Amino acid sequence: MNLFLIFFGKIIIRISRFFNFGNGSTWPGHIALLISKNFIKDILKTNGKRLKTILIAGTNGKTTTGKLIQTILERNGKRVFRNEGGANLLNGIASTLALHSTVVGRLSYDFAIFEIDENTLPLILREVRNPDFIILLNLFRDQLDRYGEVNTISKKWSDALKDINNKTTLILNADDPQVAYLGLRLKGVSVKFFGLNDKGLATLKNQHAVDSTYCPNCNSKLTYSAIYYSHLGIWKCPSCKNSWPKPDISSFPIYPLPGTYNRYNTLAAVLLSRQLNIEEKDIIGGLKNFQPAFGRQEEINIYGKKVQIFLSKNPASFNESLRTIDSLNAKNVLFVLNDRIPDGRDVSWIWDADFEDFSSQFKNIIVSGDRLFDMGLRLKYAEFKEFQAEDNLTKAIGVTINKTPKNKTLYILPTYSAMLEARKILTGKKIL
Amino acid sequence: MKNYSVTIGWLYPELMSTYGDRGNIIVLQKRCEWRGIKTKIKCLDVGFDHKLLAACDLLFMGGAQDQQQKIVAEDLQRKKENLKKVIEDSIPGLYICGAYQFLGKYYKEADGNIIKGLGILDLHTENPGINNPRLIGNIVVHPCHPELVSGYQPKRDSDIRQNNKGQILLGFENHGGRTYLGKNIKPFGKVIKGFGNNGEDKTEGAIYENTFGTYLHGPILPKNPEFADILIKLALEKKYGSPINLSPLDNSLETQARNAIAKRLNVDI
Repeated sequence: MNLFLIFFGKIIIRISRFFNFGNGSTWPGHIALLISKNFIKDILKTNGKRLKTILIAGTNGKTTTGKLIQTILERNGKRVFRNEGGANLLNGIASTLALHSTVVGRLSYDFAIFEIDENTLPLILREVRNPDFIILLNLFRDQLDRYGEVNTISKKWSDALKDINNKTTLILNADDPQVAYLGLRLKGVSVKFFGLNDKGLATLKNQHAVDSTYCPNCNSKLTYSAIYYSHLGIWKCPSCKNSWPKPDISSFPIYPLPGTYNRYNTLAAVLLSRQLNIEEKDIIGGLKNFQPAFGRQEEINIYGKKVQIFLSKNPASFNESLRTIDSLNAKNVLFVLNDRIPDGRDVSWIWDADFEDFSSQFKNIIVSGDRLFDMGLRLKYAEFKEFQAEDNLTKAIGVTINKTPKNKTLYILPTYSAMLEARKILTGKKIL
Repeated sequence: MKNYSVTIGWLYPELMSTYGDRGNIIVLQKRCEWRGIKTKIKCLDVGFDHKLLAACDLLFMGGAQDQQQKIVAEDLQRKKENLKKVIEDSIPGLYICGAYQFLGKYYKEADGNIIKGLGILDLHTENPGINNPRLIGNIVVHPCHPELVSGYQPKRDSDIRQNNKGQILLGFENHGGRTYLGKNIKPFGKVIKGFGNNGEDKTEGAIYENTFGTYLHGPILPKNPEFADILIKLALEKKYGSPINLSPLDNSLETQARNAIAKRLNVDI
């Protein structure tokens, strides 16, 4: 039966791509799971001997971390596949398996890297009982209408991790109290931590959208000796003995992408590679050749100008995008706010991002998207003096590119669906 | 309006600010500052001195996660009488979602467990359990306009229907609890689109003296600037004891934002 489903899935993916319905990244898997609910479990079992599985979860950085690991492993000569296109629910994972299997159900790869949606992690752990690695990057408030609140997710993760055994290595962010605590309380499981230990990177000022500054063990307010962004930092509970675990890695000679958030992604990828005994020269070589994942600082050249897309999907990622483009001396900025299902229907979160710090940094500013006026109001109340509003995204991109001087960069900060739309306009259509 | 000043007390900004509700504080502050009204924001976090409440001209409290609400509930129970006094004394305040629920008599959890509220407003909230979905989505209400402006309190049987000509308030709601109003309290508005207090009786929020409880996030004030101005006006009138006319501000961007959402929801504006 599964062989039929693989065959069927492959055909659907082909047809879907041929007719440009999309890249067929979720619905063949959806159908496969409807017909055979153990599809994922069975395929992975059949290939369990040589195929190692890596699961990556967290609010921000999954795609970039997955791609970093893939690049390093491939540099080392390994065969790797990964769920792409943000297909990070069960159906996306089933589709990815169908796409990469041979028609006899064999996966001739060494590694499967799956980025997993926060809510899906407990479900996938029922299918992949003991993955070789689980990377947990961070937990920030994101799409509260869909995911619920940060504490709800961390509780779900904690329950789901109870059943794993020592075949699995957990790679956790030491600087995120909720994430680190998941590892601190687990017994008999191999846990490795990554984190920053560099006061020079710490921010002076607390950001607003902070979720986990209370002890996950005893609810007391945590104290920090350094905060890198949001609630990530060197933390300690003054009441119970819970505190920041010293990371197994806290720096690396090269970081392929700017931004503090990408340091975390890089450290997670390097720490995992070291567990696999990948040689340092391959790690460095891989990182040097790294090309960003789509929409994650991806660069597109158009009419002699550079466009760089910084996916900005929740307060923490928006703050980091703003901080990073400001450090790159950005002047031309397009904000695109959508409120479709992949973005979250509730746009309240833009008020939790700290626009106030950047009110006079940028010059050529335009807002677009389904909720352009909500974004406009956010800028107005952050005292941005001049900005334009244009609801047609193609026009908005055209206008801002026109105004961007030659050899300068236009920075686009979109939500998820807006990012896909902007990419399509930039790569697939004539816009001026 | 240079001679005026207003102190805004922000209850539990560290814990009760999960859904972008600090946008409300930003809007109140800017709309005062743009008129030359001096503003001071007092952050009243866990353990704050209860005497500070009486020094505030306007209060605000947002919603939060369960773990955080528990911490706040403990702290707030200790200040219950002080908060009750300022509310009874008509100090204006805006209480969103979890904060609104706190002001009621109790919150009944899905398993029947009762969490005591502050008992200041005649209402209670029930969580019907995980088999009943959270009430999530865009929401439009007709506010009960007369008392918004003047503090005039119509009788309960007329308070919703008579205000159909009132202007609309737009927001986004996301709550599991269903709130039911008692006899001694009026709703904040009538639901046109969305769920409101409980998804059944078309009421949204509650008004008592100058205290406004509501489920409208969004946050509520950026896209409802008239309501923001009413809060400022009430605060100043209470403080200075005389009628206040706020100088007008340019609301064109706010109007565009309102129109865009209203059009999408097929609501006349």
